[in-house]
Amino acid sequence: MNLPEVIIEAVDLKYSYPDGTNALRKISLQVKKGEKLAILGSNGAGKSTLFMQFNGIYRPNSGSIKYQGQDITYTNKALIELRKKVGIVFQDPDSQLFSASVYQDISFGPLNLGLSEKIVADRVKQALRDTETTNLEDKPTHLLSYGQKKRVSIAGVLAMEPEVIIFDEPTAGLDPRHSLEFMQLLKKLSDSGKTIIISTHDVDLAYSFADRIAIMCSGEVIAHGEPGELFLQPDLIKRADLALPWLIEMHSELVKKGWLPPTTPLPKTKEDLLNNIPVKGGQQSA
Amino acid sequence: MINIDCYAYSNNLKTVHPLEKSLFAMLTMVVCLTSSTVVIPLIVLAFMAGGIIFRAGIPIRFFLHLMLVPLSFLFISILTIAFSISTNPSGFWFAQTINGLTIGTRYPDLIIAIHLFLKSLGAVSCLYFLALTTPMTEIITLLHRMKVPVIITELMVLIYRFIFVFMETAITIRRAQSSRLGYISMKSSYRSLSRLFSALLGKVFVKSQELYNAMAARGYTGEIKVLTKKYPVSLRNYILITGFELPLILLNLLGR
Repeated sequence: MNLPEVIIEAVDLKYSYPDGTNALRKISLQVKKGEKLAILGSNGAGKSTLFMQFNGIYRPNSGSIKYQGQDITYTNKALIELRKKVGIVFQDPDSQLFSASVYQDISFGPLNLGLSEKIVADRVKQALRDTETTNLEDKPTHLLSYGQKKRVSIAGVLAMEPEVIIFDEPTAGLDPRHSLEFMQLLKKLSDSGKTIIISTHDVDLAYSFADRIAIMCSGEVIAHGEPGELFLQPDLIKRADLALPWLIEMHSELVKKGWLPPTTPLPKTKEDLLNNIPVKGGQQSA
Repeated sequence: MINIDCYAYSNNLKTVHPLEKSLFAMLTMVVCLTSSTVVIPLIVLAFMAGGIIFRAGIPIRFFLHLMLVPLSFLFISILTIAFSISTNPSGFWFAQTINGLTIGTRYPDLIIAIHLFLKSLGAVSCLYFLALTTPMTEIITLLHRMKVPVIITELMVLIYRFIFVFMETAITIRRAQSSRLGYISMKSSYRSLSRLFSALLGKVFVKSQELYNAMAARGYTGEIKVLTKKYPVSLRNYILITGFELPLILLNLLGR
């Protein structure tokens, strides 16, 4: 039985590429409405392939994808309906932006939904505002920087007003400042009620951003749960070829060496960790 | 070529309706090509140069540089028209006879050559005006409105976009090859270039699949539908175009 809050779900999903590579082996994963889910996994773990399933681009060999409890039927109409609800922002903006005009590219998705030109024009404008790209409207895509292209490709998906937005490696190739800005944009989207799924192998990012984490390893989901729970199992993290977030490592070390009482809650941000550390020997903090 | 493209997006006439700019460039080009006197190409050249440099704000050096590109081709073709070789030395205006063979130019030929030279240069300046002031995306939109088959305009959209993507890829590959001395000798250059092309071909297939997936994810069902930006229609520009073309056409007819 499905809980009502599950928005999209993979049930016993199996998929292999035409060349025989088993990309997904019996994956079951539930995504809850409004949550921020991070899918962690090393290169080739099957994250991107899973995303293609969520959007109906690839069809599973067995098992199914359910959207709000309903199996996807893969008829043209059902696919359009699914793609209206689930948007994907691909890793490489150069393979997502097909038009040299920013404005035209963003209008592509909503027009495919059969909306009127007036509504589409409004949505394009809104998407440009939401991604802070209004000043790029008249620029050709090939003169944009990587980060700008990335924002425009998000705008192209946002304009379709999906309920679930999937980001494949959102911060890959961005410098620290731009990835921070990018994650703030993702938080903003999440606050406005969208369900956000990201894939990454940046454990620090996944840890501080996500409500829930699923760990994938060679085509399987080997664990899922709250970030705090998962990262306290070093064996699991090692098995998935990942590393521990520096916050957790630091926290554990401080607890082990007696600087913090074992009851201290796990820090979610750098500020949490710094606040947890007590002032030495009763000195007054300034 | 890349610079032309950059200017198309950043010139001072970018807010003018693309139809007005295309109409101006195309009509003027037709008038220039059908002209029978040397005056009209000169007027066209002057107006287009003025439009490009003063109205669109393209640096004069860049414009002159562009005009030099067709000049070399033109000179060669003009020479073959202006000069002829004959065994009969009569009728030559300016000639040199060596061993009974006369090489030189006849006066009417010279006039034809100069006329042709100016006509071509004038027409080229019209094309430059269009290319420097109107982004390719707008030209494609216009063609689409003019009922050019969708298959052509859609291909133009994709080709135009991917010229830049593949150029970037090619530059990266070339750089990687050069850094490992891939172009040190003639032989290695040939080998590196062939590998560059085969690598690029492979990437084309991967990219096209990725592009298709990304488009399908946004609901692509076989037709690329996009919204185009609206430009203000200026009655003044239409009057200006008419005011410029009409006298030229009249001059053209009178000159016949």
